Amino acid sequence: MSPKKAHSKAKSDTYSPSELAKDKKKLMNLIDRAQDGDESALPVLRKVLDEVPRVARIIDLARNVERSIIEKMSGDDVFTQEAIPRNLKAMKREIAGENPSPLERLLAERITVCWLELQYFQALYAQNLGELTITQSDYHQRRIDKAHRRYISSIKALAQIRKMGPAVQINIAEKQINTAG
Amino acid sequence: MIREYVGGGILGELAAEMDALERERREEQAARWKEEQEELDALEAPVEELSEASDLLVRAALLASGYHQHNRGEWRKRREPKESP
Repeated sequence: MSPKKAHSKAKSDTYSPSELAKDKKKLMNLIDRAQDGDESALPVLRKVLDEVPRVARIIDLARNVERSIIEKMSGDDVFTQEAIPRNLKAMKREIAGENPSPLERLLAERITVCWLELQYFQALYAQNLGELTITQSDYHQRRIDKAHRRYISSIKALAQIRKMGPAVQINIAEKQINTAG
Repeated sequence: MIREYVGGGILGELAAEMDALERERREEQAARWKEEQEELDALEAPVEELSEASDLLVRAALLASGYHQHNRGEWRKRREPKESP
């Protein structure tokens, strides 16, 4: 182990799992260590996943983003405000499948949010196409590309978890997931 | 920038006024465009955050379940060390 890694190992071992879960940088450091084959990082990582309701927090974030995009998309159109969430709900159910694990449910939420974002950016671009300057058009296309990449990687993440099968699980209180809905 | 002398008097005043109006229109457009960009940025940032957070969680879950990422690419099950007889 390099001196730099040994130093970061010593540092992250002194943090509690909840501290690690709140601090993305520290958590990433721990993940990197585990990825580099440091097995001493695994017990701490498991504790982080067991103890912290991170999934619930991320699902909340997903729902907030979804609401903001729907508001933007529908404006004052109350029918659209009502119709989009229904479609999204059906979409999430279909993607998550039968008896999804909490992680699969989270990833289904992420896929639908990324899909919605992509739809919105594409629609916005199409609506304004005739009025945009070359620079503005470029800007929109770059944004669409980024949204498209996020959408594809959200699908890949779910496919990855499904490929690994039920061995990949995280323990999370069921009620934390339900209250977010 | 192109400078064109149109003379003084009424014609000059009119030209100056038209220039000012055009400048104002362009400034308004630029402000509107900036506002639109900021709104879209604000919409995009939490989606990016959501993607990063769930990726982190996926990686953590895979590692904790005994997988490792081979050369930062494919995820593979970590081999159990053979027990010595």
